[in-house]
Amino acid sequence: MSAFRLQLFSGWAMTAEAVESRSDRDMRWSALMAAAQMGDARAYDRLLRECLPLLRSICRARLRDATETEDAVQDALLTLHRVRATYDPARPFTPWISAIAERRALDRGRARGRRTGREIELDHAGPIIDPSLPPAERGLERAELRAALRDLPPSQAKALQLAKIEELSLAEASARSGLSVGALKVATHRALHTLRKRLGAP
Amino acid sequence: MLTEDLISRMSHGLAPVRRLPSPTALTLRWLGIAVIVVAGAVALVGLRHDLQARIDAGLDLRQMAAAGLTGVLAALAAFQLSFPDRDPRWALLPLPAFALWLANLGWGCLQDFARLGPEGLHLTTSFPCLAFILGFGLPLSLAMAWLGRHAVLIRPGPVAALGGLAAASITNIGLTLTHHLDAAAMVLAWHGLAIAVTTGAAALLGPRVMRAAEA
Repeated sequence: MSAFRLQLFSGWAMTAEAVESRSDRDMRWSALMAAAQMGDARAYDRLLRECLPLLRSICRARLRDATETEDAVQDALLTLHRVRATYDPARPFTPWISAIAERRALDRGRARGRRTGREIELDHAGPIIDPSLPPAERGLERAELRAALRDLPPSQAKALQLAKIEELSLAEASARSGLSVGALKVATHRALHTLRKRLGAP
Repeated sequence: MLTEDLISRMSHGLAPVRRLPSPTALTLRWLGIAVIVVAGAVALVGLRHDLQARIDAGLDLRQMAAAGLTGVLAALAAFQLSFPDRDPRWALLPLPAFALWLANLGWGCLQDFARLGPEGLHLTTSFPCLAFILGFGLPLSLAMAWLGRHAVLIRPGPVAALGGLAAASITNIGLTLTHHLDAAAMVLAWHGLAIAVTTGAAALLGPRVMRAAEA
């Protein structure tokens, strides 16, 4: 019982201490930022390095992915640099810098949402010729498919050849064709779309 | 680039910056510009001839007061939101005054309808009116986008929209002082158009103006 009480007490004491040191920290950051506004490069450098863990934790909470997080942290730093005249040293510093980081992390998250909305996994595209058909019909479909493939624009045909027929990985296909991974994905997706329309699939 | 290297680059050769004035000071500056624009228009085209009579009848005073209050509060909200650490709820500040203003216009419309019947709601096209709307709205919106240009990386959309609302409110006062419109339906339609055009254009174009001014 007493051990529990002790734990409780030390927990409370730790929280109180954390609050105290946070406000100390904020005062120090605020002073460093005020110096940076007057052109003190060393204060600025020290401030930004001290703030990095905070920026990273804010961005990580929104994005999770490590690369995206670091990109958002850099976006936040660049924004902070351009709007550094908006900081008023009479106000706490932490909400100011946190709001900037939140904003840039949100932007990154939205941009990622838009990207994933546009892309589809090639593995989910399914076989073009139904393997359950009798051989004669499969042959017919194959002829039709060959004709359709011939009519594709060269870049789409190439992308389809490498990614779906030779079954190379995107990285290998990219190295072979000289196209970027993104361009390959788009070309393959478009090629499949064209074929599907031409062959009357839903 | 590593983030640590980015920091070194950013702090290398750091230039001093002048701290921005507070949101209240920016609001006062913008209101100063607004007074100059409205006074300039009055000096240019004169007050409408029946203004005194209408004010005596209490018709326009209430409406101008509501519009003025909306303008001041919307401008203050816009400048508050142009700073990163301000509460987003500032955006709600001008809404009660805005509602009061719209209600006032709508009430005038109903009164005209009761007084004159359907004739009171008859609309005509008034192109000079549009010129007035643009003449007031454009400089006021541009001044807002210029004074709040630092918001471009923070909340450009809401700041521009609130700035547009502030500009539209002052435009409304300017219209009431200088431009002759009688029927409340006409006033509602044209002033409503003024609000929609100014706020919409500011929300769409404001961020671009800010970006151009920031660069």
